[in-house]
Amino acid sequence: MGEEKKKRVLIVEDAAYMREMLQEMLHQEERSYEVVGFAVNGKEAVEKYKELKPDIVTMDLVMEEMDGIQAIREIKRYDPNALIIAITALGMSEYKDAALAAGADEYLWKPFTINNLFEAFERLLRKRGRGSEGNE
Amino acid sequence: MKIERLNYRFLLLLSTVLACTILAFFVGFIREETIVYTHFFYIPILLAGVWYRRKAVYIALLLSSVYILVTLFSPQAALSVHIFERSAIFVAVAYVIGFVSEERAKGEEKLKETKEKIKEERDKLNLILESMDDGVCIISKDYKVEFMNKVLIDVFGYHVGDICYKAFHNRDEPCPGCKNTEVVKGKTVRWEWHSRRTNRTYDLFETPLKNIDGSISKLTIFRDISEQKRIEDNLRDAEERYRVIFEHALTALCVIEHGKFVSLANKEFETLSGYSREEIKGKKWIDFIADEDMDRVQNYCEERRKGEAPACCEFKFVSRNGEIKHVNAWIEPIPGADSCIASLLDMTELKRKEEELRETCKRLAELDKMKSDFLNVAYHELRSPLAPIVGYASMLERCELPDKGKRYLYNIEQSARQLEKLINRMLELARIDGKKIELSLEWVRIPEVVSEVVKSLEPEAKEKRQKISMSVPDIEVQADKQKLIAILSNLVSNAIKYTPEEGKIDINVEDRGEDICACVADTGIGIPEEHLPKIFERFYMVDTSLTRKSGSLGLGLSIVKEYVKLHGGIVWARSEVGKGSEFFFTIPKRRKAIKKGA
Repeated sequence: MGEEKKKRVLIVEDAAYMREMLQEMLHQEERSYEVVGFAVNGKEAVEKYKELKPDIVTMDLVMEEMDGIQAIREIKRYDPNALIIAITALGMSEYKDAALAAGADEYLWKPFTINNLFEAFERLLRKRGRGSEGNE
Repeated sequence: MKIERLNYRFLLLLSTVLACTILAFFVGFIREETIVYTHFFYIPILLAGVWYRRKAVYIALLLSSVYILVTLFSPQAALSVHIFERSAIFVAVAYVIGFVSEERAKGEEKLKETKEKIKEERDKLNLILESMDDGVCIISKDYKVEFMNKVLIDVFGYHVGDICYKAFHNRDEPCPGCKNTEVVKGKTVRWEWHSRRTNRTYDLFETPLKNIDGSISKLTIFRDISEQKRIEDNLRDAEERYRVIFEHALTALCVIEHGKFVSLANKEFETLSGYSREEIKGKKWIDFIADEDMDRVQNYCEERRKGEAPACCEFKFVSRNGEIKHVNAWIEPIPGADSCIASLLDMTELKRKEEELRETCKRLAELDKMKSDFLNVAYHELRSPLAPIVGYASMLERCELPDKGKRYLYNIEQSARQLEKLINRMLELARIDGKKIELSLEWVRIPEVVSEVVKSLEPEAKEKRQKISMSVPDIEVQADKQKLIAILSNLVSNAIKYTPEEGKIDINVEDRGEDICACVADTGIGIPEEHLPKIFERFYMVDTSLTRKSGSLGLGLSIVKEYVKLHGGIVWARSEVGKGSEFFFTIPKRRKAIKKGA
């Protein structure tokens, strides 16, 4: 495999400082990731996904209008191959299970370090790599 | 003896006859009389008359013939008419004497018989008097004791001939309640008397008794009724006791006659029904039952009277002003009577309380949910701001920083980690309280758990130059691995925290067959004895002063306790101040019944 294409990332977060931080973190690995857009709630996330077709979505679970789990479900319905990583401060494992059941591919707990983030991304891509290989 | 006497008399009589004959012969011979001297013959006649009564006639006849014979053989005497005349006189005299003596003897015999009869009667009477249980005495008009029977003598002593009030009551004049005067005037009285001397109660029957001389005495019959009285008193006491129980029972009680009418009710029944006792008496039982419950209650009563059906029946009770009360009723048939006793317990208030309680429970459940929700939100809201702190700090690590900056960054990261840990613990406890914790059981290898814990805590220990040693057998238990790690790491991190630099921490796991027993020992500051029982309580801190070690909410050990409990094990501690502490916990190797959400 040659030079990998940059992964296009949609950040879904209702808190501005989190959006900014995620962007900052992803910029640290500019060669691999590119932030293509932001959404502040589930509804906007679905719209933005349809519009931008990103490779990866980081999805906060607690948001106004439409919550993250609902948004994951919508996006997955629209595009079953979408790669979604749920990021939340909710502690209970039920939420994790709910997010995974809705179709999230990875789960990351706040707070996380930059390393945690990239590890999660890598896990996500590895999984996809395997999955797409299997599909092909 | 009798025969001997008879013979003796007979011989005597014969010899008297012979002697008289000879005498009469010789006297007649000497006096030269023409007839035999006859006067001597009267002696045997008299004797025979006395002895043989009428049979004396035969003696007289014998004598007459002897007399005639003697006269015939007497030289002087000549047979004449006088001889027969005299013989006849002999017989006549003998007859008269015999008759008289017979009559006299008869009279004597009769007298003797009468006397015997009287004696017999008297003996009989005495026997009756002596053998009867009642005391009998006769007292004369002037208070003199004339007779006492044995019973009375046994009780009061022998006082016949004494003055009654002196003898019995030690008084100088007749007793105030004495009935003597009325009785001797002819009145019969009956009264009750309690003797202080014997401490017994008598029923006295006193009646006039006419003496032979016409005077009147008093006959008194004493009947001891103490026992009867005692039984009566006991009965009265028992009755009174049951009446009080009935009256003051906390349940409403009433007696139902023939399944229809209320004949008796207690105070509580008055309160329940709102009717007075007088109004209740004779009221129909069904008047107290709400229409919709009528058939059911009647059936129940009927069945209870037959001894069937369960003991309790719930129905709506109608009180005076039409107010409906919920009661629990017990109907119990009274043995030997066509009636039963109903006890009614007013459940109205209880029902209301129950409703209230249900309401409260609901409210509490709501509050509990609110608490849970709040905790979840609080958890989320507290963790969210931590995200940029940790995130940016981790990014800063990648930047070129001066040494000072690195140290600052390190401190920020440490604080953030500590904060995260505290928030996690709070949520964990909240979830334990809400019974939301479930164990995800798997076969866990103990050495794996221990080394994982040690690995994660080793940096902290190294910082304090502490040495962690362990002795762990290679065994598996059925447990929740994450919880097991939490238990052990809580204990080990406490050990590290409370052990001074260069101290020693020892982890020891023992295979005990059914379960394992783990021990975390340190050479730390120790825990004072009075604190030991409480250290597993929530928010309990041994040191609450401002100089305490920070970074603790007193939650770690309570989480340990809850987790161990969830696994079905127990946890305890042993410590000596200044020397160190030992924390033990057990985990059963195999869960017998996995309780979901225990």
